[in-house]
Amino acid sequence: MDDSLPQEATPEATPEVLPLVAGTSTQTLAFGSFVLALTILCAFLFSRRRSRSRGNALLLVGPPDSGKTAILSTLAYNQTLPSHTSLQTNATVVALPSATTLRVVDVPGHPRIRDQFLEHMGDAKAIAFVVDASTVSRNGAAVAEHLHHILHAITSLPPSQPAPALLILAHKADLLKTGTSSSTLADVAVSRVRTILERELEKRRESQSGGVGVEGLGEEGERSDMGGLDHSGPAGSPFKFADWEGGEVDFAGTWAKVGETKEDEKQSGTDGLEGLTEWLDQLSR
Amino acid sequence: MLDHCSISHKGGVVLWSRSFTPEASHIASSSASPVNSLIREALIEGRTAEEKYEKDGYAVKWTFVNDLELIFVVAYQRILQLTYVDDLLAALKALFIKLFEPFLATFVASLHALNSTKSASSVAGDTTTSWNFVKAFEGWDKVFDKLLKGFEDKAAQERKSRFRSTVHAVSADPSPPSDDLSTIPSESSVVPQDEQQIARNVQALKNRLRGRGGRRGGRGIARVESGSGRDSHPASDSESNKRKTKSKAQRKWGDEAPSEMDMASLDFSVDKPSGTDGHLSHDLQALVDEASLGTRTRDGMYEVKDWEFGTKEGEDDVIARALKSDGTTTKQTSGSLGALGSLFARLTGSKVLTQEDLKPVLEGMKQHLMKKNVAREIADKVCEGVGESLEGKKVGGFQTTSNAVRIALSSSLTRILTPKTSTDLLLSIRTKLSSPLPSTQQRIPYSITFVGVNGVGKSTNLSKVCFWLIQNGMRVLIAACDTFRSGAVEQLRVHVRNLSMLGVNGATDSKGRVELFEKGYGKDAAGIAKEAITYAKENDFDVVLIDTAGRMQDNEPLMRALAKLVAVNNPDKILFVGEALVGNEAVDQLTKFDRALRDFSSASGAGKGRGIDGMIVTKWDTVDDKVGAALSMTYVTGQPIIFVGCGQTYTDLRQLRVANVVQAILSD
Repeated sequence: MDDSLPQEATPEATPEVLPLVAGTSTQTLAFGSFVLALTILCAFLFSRRRSRSRGNALLLVGPPDSGKTAILSTLAYNQTLPSHTSLQTNATVVALPSATTLRVVDVPGHPRIRDQFLEHMGDAKAIAFVVDASTVSRNGAAVAEHLHHILHAITSLPPSQPAPALLILAHKADLLKTGTSSSTLADVAVSRVRTILERELEKRRESQSGGVGVEGLGEEGERSDMGGLDHSGPAGSPFKFADWEGGEVDFAGTWAKVGETKEDEKQSGTDGLEGLTEWLDQLSR
Repeated sequence: MLDHCSISHKGGVVLWSRSFTPEASHIASSSASPVNSLIREALIEGRTAEEKYEKDGYAVKWTFVNDLELIFVVAYQRILQLTYVDDLLAALKALFIKLFEPFLATFVASLHALNSTKSASSVAGDTTTSWNFVKAFEGWDKVFDKLLKGFEDKAAQERKSRFRSTVHAVSADPSPPSDDLSTIPSESSVVPQDEQQIARNVQALKNRLRGRGGRRGGRGIARVESGSGRDSHPASDSESNKRKTKSKAQRKWGDEAPSEMDMASLDFSVDKPSGTDGHLSHDLQALVDEASLGTRTRDGMYEVKDWEFGTKEGEDDVIARALKSDGTTTKQTSGSLGALGSLFARLTGSKVLTQEDLKPVLEGMKQHLMKKNVAREIADKVCEGVGESLEGKKVGGFQTTSNAVRIALSSSLTRILTPKTSTDLLLSIRTKLSSPLPSTQQRIPYSITFVGVNGVGKSTNLSKVCFWLIQNGMRVLIAACDTFRSGAVEQLRVHVRNLSMLGVNGATDSKGRVELFEKGYGKDAAGIAKEAITYAKENDFDVVLIDTAGRMQDNEPLMRALAKLVAVNNPDKILFVGEALVGNEAVDQLTKFDRALRDFSSASGAGKGRGIDGMIVTKWDTVDDKVGAALSMTYVTGQPIIFVGCGQTYTDLRQLRVANVVQAILSD
């Protein structure tokens, strides 16, 4: 008899919306997802902030045996440690006398692994190209090739990123013989490095212009030869750093004696790296 | 006995070093020091799999500590055969880390400062702790001295004991010492019954003779040391079994009767049961790739699968697949907690890679490289080098072992393929042509020689290079120094005719820009090359391209002839032309060509021998992505690949892009 009761009197059951997780109502679920979204947003913002703080590194690049690791150890540990050819990059944080901190990255100079500096380019505020001033007359071509890579990388940065400042360091200036002129060691080193590099870069620029290069394998549109040496002087004139279109290029002459500490330097009155530290101070101001 | 010993960080800072001779200390700080040469030539080039490195009379041995990024190097004179160096390195490593681990950890952390804001506070704190390296390592000198003395004393004692035993053996012999082998039976009254007894007697006699020779020589310390070194090698190498011990096995000449052991291994007449069942099934699985089996038609015939062009496989983890197919031989999961334990260890960032973790992954990578046409030895060495650099390293986060291996392998391949000298041929040509003239009036032209085995495409690629040089405004002379193969000169004449007809920069033709210099067949190639260079000098040509005959690498008279051509003419570049299809042969070809050129051209008194300066890889279009030959060739010589030939027309000349090649090798 029960089943003869009019079934149609009862309202048709609407399909019930079951909560996703049994036992919780939709309200708590909405609240929970909101909290989750908030935490994700916060994490995202934090990561953005960390990435925005980039642009605070000094890159030490240059041909092998020029003294980059020695400079890094002097800046970081206040003493010049003996060093040999680097196998990997070193990155350390240095406190400048002007009370700012600076990250210093020392990239190995060996031709096979020197392209690692490209990874740090995005982070770089300044690039110091270290050259051994005492042997640059012998291996000028190789040094110029390395410098060409750096210049090309600087000029191919996206325009949204501020170009890093470039300093060419004529290092190991204490090994030069000044001869009879009265100018300081640093000036002699700087002038020698500047003339040799300008001459070699001019040769490189000439050999690239007006030539037909060989395409690289793979994509058709990629250019295989490197630019980066455009200069604003009159056409046909030799390459000069003052005319370089990529930015300002500064020079400084420095040296760092192995085994010396900061206290020894204070006593003798000369600081080998003062060219570098002065330039860094100037930059941070 | 040692010359130099140093402990340093991979980033270049030397933590401790000691030189034992004034000469060693003098060059230790220069760029020619053994440590610097080792790093520049062996470690950066990725040849870490080799045991020893020798240069300038120094033998250098080294070892790594990968989680603290340290290198331990010991250098000694090459003529000394020091047996305890491996043990010394292992002991140094263990002691140094045990004594100074906290300091080293902070030092390494300071060299990897990632985030400047995070460590700003730590920097402020660290300025109080001055980095006094001398103080930190002060106890180390004494420990090192004690260790070294212990090893040297042990080696001296072993030498003395070997001396004493040979002296005893000789004094037991009543007859006067003689080298006559016929005195063997007089030693033992019993006639030797079987071959093993004979073999043992022969070995005993050889030992006696060696010891006798040392005693008679008097000053033959090196001899005795070498003898004791060989004998004590197996005993003292139990610790350092990472390095495969290469104790010299006696060469088996064919004229000896085979020993019993040889007979057993050479006897195929009886069906022996194979080693283990697992081994057998693994072999079968490797023989057939299940995915490429054909189909059976309705008649029961087996039809081969069709060739599909350009299929892309979905799965791109090649290592996972290699490991899966290798399933029968994978190791049991080691460790107390197994896979779960290692996952937790990885998430907390403290998982240390061990040999067992790396072995299957490296094995899979090696198979993958060989599938991409990399020579077997090279694939072996590359994977071994990667394994050595990763062992003991901490891998954290969500990075799996295979991922870490893949990254390390990619960077190692990039390092091997990146040229260490400039590959800009035009620049070197222009530099030479514009260099200040010596007293002679005429300019010496730039000469390039093309060498290689038969049929690789020397003449074709020579004409492609010639076309490129003409496009850049150079005047080129082609010297036909292939006087052996019929039609070689005519082939070059056809090329020169074609190139003259192709104009450049709007000119209708290039007459006068390229010429052929030939003297027919059967003449001496070196003489023709010399005359060609003189002709080019007189007629103001810029570049001379010298085409040589193809020759096999083990044909000694022909290699000597080639070396004579190189020694007489001293070309500016010697380019080895090799084809991309070559497999394991590449290693053999290049080593023999390089060595033959160096040895024979220096023997003729020209000073330092010339080797191969660069390579051209041809027929690149025949291998789509199996480009492993490029890797084998660069690994063997260390020289860059200057051009790549990919077709038969004059414009089919390309430059190599390292990133593309690495990607092609590592892709599926």
